[in-house]
Amino acid sequence: MEWLTQHVLEKYNFWIAMTIIIVGLTATIVKENLLKKIIGLSIFQTAMFLWYVSLGDVGRNILTTWGLKTGTPAILWEEAAEKGYIYVNPLLNVLMLTGIVVSAATTAVALAIVIRIYQKYGTIEEDEIIEKEKEFEREGVM
Amino acid sequence: MTQERRAYKRDVVIEVTTSLIVPLILLFGLYVMMGTGGTGGGFQGGTILAAGFILYITVFGVDKGREKVPESVNAFFLSFGLFLYNGIGWLCILFSLATAQWLNMPAFWPVTEFTGVAGARSFLIAYMISAGIGLTVMAAFVSQYFDLAMKEDDEMEGDEG
Amino acid sequence: MKLPAMKPLTISGLITALLLIALSIYVVEDLPAFGDENSPANKYMMLFTVDADGLAENLDAGILPSKIKTQIEDMGFNKEENYPTLEEGNYRIEWSEKGAFEGGRRSEGGWEVLIHNGEIFYNEPLRYYFVKEGNETFTIYRYNWPVRVNEKTEEETATINAVTAGLADYRGYDTMGEETVILTGAIGVILLLRRRGRL
Repeated sequence: MEWLTQHVLEKYNFWIAMTIIIVGLTATIVKENLLKKIIGLSIFQTAMFLWYVSLGDVGRNILTTWGLKTGTPAILWEEAAEKGYIYVNPLLNVLMLTGIVVSAATTAVALAIVIRIYQKYGTIEEDEIIEKEKEFEREGVM
Repeated sequence: MTQERRAYKRDVVIEVTTSLIVPLILLFGLYVMMGTGGTGGGFQGGTILAAGFILYITVFGVDKGREKVPESVNAFFLSFGLFLYNGIGWLCILFSLATAQWLNMPAFWPVTEFTGVAGARSFLIAYMISAGIGLTVMAAFVSQYFDLAMKEDDEMEGDEG
Repeated sequence: MKLPAMKPLTISGLITALLLIALSIYVVEDLPAFGDENSPANKYMMLFTVDADGLAENLDAGILPSKIKTQIEDMGFNKEENYPTLEEGNYRIEWSEKGAFEGGRRSEGGWEVLIHNGEIFYNEPLRYYFVKEGNETFTIYRYNWPVRVNEKTEEETATINAVTAGLADYRGYDTMGEETVILTGAIGVILLLRRRGRL
């Protein structure tokens, strides 16, 4: 019982982020449409950012207070010292900012590749592409 | 060939609203891009600026969008932003004799006698580094959107290899 | 009851999901709790524990006892690996009250070791180690990077935005590389999609 409260209830951010990671990664593997695979990859990357940034939140404890004390973002104003605010860890936000923009740029490159595949084969489904590829090999068109 | 490539009928409400709100989006993006006086930063401001241009292209069509953001202006901003940031970075590496310290750049500026070292670093963060990041990110996203949305004249002709 | 025939892709996806669930149950015991102020990612990291024989008088007088000092240097925080050394006259010991509020964090009662690091432009002592008293033992902690950022960002760079100062000033070279990645992404889309003499 103590293992349950200590490792499951206090770390609920990890379980939520892990669920979305598993959903995104399974979608990338299982689905056959190429566009759905790209969407699964984007879901996976977004859940990773959520998990990493939530490590730095300060002042939240589910067992003592229901979110009455929270951390403020790391903008260092002078009035925060009088009111008793505690700052959030800024290093984690810094490392994930560049990751967000890079993931958007690589999604655009993946979509450009899908457009090229559609122009050559005429379809996006994966099993039809494999059949057409075998036909091209037999007939010698390349 | 010279007909309009539209898939929907023109709507007055959408066009008037967009032409009123796009300058405000660009002004807000410029404010967010200088990130030293409050929230903001280079990446955040650059994506807001790109969102303004993408909204204009979506509503009015690709041809009219090409008149506002021609190819030469797009390529200029794409390389100018990288030139600003990488120029300062490689100068710092050179002057600190490859020990990679950012502090040496304010050290030999004559400006630091007036503002101090902290003021010179804040000037570098706000006006050179953030502007460099913002311009490159805006130009990259607008150029990617143009390529994905533009239809060439003869496609699906067969395979070229 | 017979299961319907599944494609090989579905089977491999289910195996991946099961492996990830098992891995997450194995890993969850090492993670810090949500909202913990004193976890290693946010404040400090525990080094070792020492019996309190008569060390409290040395710490009140301002001298670090040699038992703690040799053990810190044995762990690897010595001069060969470019860490600041604990020589005479180089450090200072202060006592901070429990519940005192400075720099955006609440301090617990203990002694703090400040080392004069000798940086190029700002010659002020920085907090490095923290000694806390338990029941007849002393625990030694070492502060991490967020403590320094929340105290010193306003002085060293005249910006109040700690996130942009961390991106553009303390970690500037990482961002320089990431911007080149974005430029390469834009060039990649141009090369893939423009074929009929528009390049």
